[in-house]
Amino acid sequence: MLIAFLVLLAMAGVLFFIARRDGQGGHICGLRKGMGMFIRLAPLLVLAFLLAGFIQVAVPPELIQEWIGTKSGFKGVFIGSIAGSLLAGGPYVSFPVISAINHSGAGTGATVSLITGWAVIGLGQLPFELTIMGPRFMIVRLSTVFATPFIAGLITQYFFG
Amino acid sequence: MRNTLIIMTLAILGLAGLAFYRDGTPALMRGLFISGRTLIEILPLLAVAFAVAGLVSQVTSTQAVNKWLGQASGFRGILLAAVAGAIVPGGPYIFFPLAATLLVSGARIGTVIAFLTAKNLWTLSRLPMEFALLDARIVIIRYAVTFVFPVLLGLLGNMLFSASTDKLRQSVARMQNQAQAENPGKGNKKCS
Repeated sequence: MLIAFLVLLAMAGVLFFIARRDGQGGHICGLRKGMGMFIRLAPLLVLAFLLAGFIQVAVPPELIQEWIGTKSGFKGVFIGSIAGSLLAGGPYVSFPVISAINHSGAGTGATVSLITGWAVIGLGQLPFELTIMGPRFMIVRLSTVFATPFIAGLITQYFFG
Repeated sequence: MRNTLIIMTLAILGLAGLAFYRDGTPALMRGLFISGRTLIEILPLLAVAFAVAGLVSQVTSTQAVNKWLGQASGFRGILLAAVAGAIVPGGPYIFFPLAATLLVSGARIGTVIAFLTAKNLWTLSRLPMEFALLDARIVIIRYAVTFVFPVLLGLLGNMLFSASTDKLRQSVARMQNQAQAENPGKGNKKCS
């Protein structure tokens, strides 16, 4: 946690000086954008943490462990991939939820499948893809990426399970 | 946004109901306590993460990426597109229009797929959030395991769909024209 904080702080520092080089207050502008985002997303974040908290008390850990736990292997990765693809929210909603599932006993492979499935398929982005790129492109893209959550989960399971 | 808030509230109420049914009031209190504690623990991390996100969007611009990728093709195009995908900030309402422009202005299908997959899997501006909200171990494993996918899928896309690139380009161009007609004079908002 502390390491993550320090890494982020260093990133912010470097970016701050890069943005400052434009000589037009780009660094202030960037910070203001970030703060604006934070304030706009605050209600969503509070709800996301409530959701994540209640998942941990409402869904029995045994159930999560049986379905996508460390010992669930192939089945866990498969379920994780499908469940991840169905997660519709942005990172602020999905990451707390995935983290809660992970802490309730999901295996590393299944957790990676959840994140990857959410990232490459994720129901939340499909409406945008459909309206901007059209159905033909969407089918082409999905046909190349649909197996990635599953493959990523299996690789993880094999090396880090 | 409003729909998301409503759906989430319903999901929370549903889960709270389930928790109450299983263990009564103590379960509800425990849920609230876990939520509050995680939120407070993560708050400083989130604050810095949003500062990073804002600064990233300040130092990168979509026009530059578009111009930069316009000339590249083949494997080089795929690599550059993947890097661009990692760098470009913003949600689907920003990166899909950019992908559409790339394809219509002559990029190959594999280049566009590499761009979108990298945007989905590598996104640098999301990395701070990922570290703030998930365990560092999971984040690192996830990046390592999915690292080669954008380039591989770009190559795969060129292998499988090169023949239909023209058709795809036309259908995307049609979508773009429609959007232009419905939404004329849509400008980029800039912070000043």
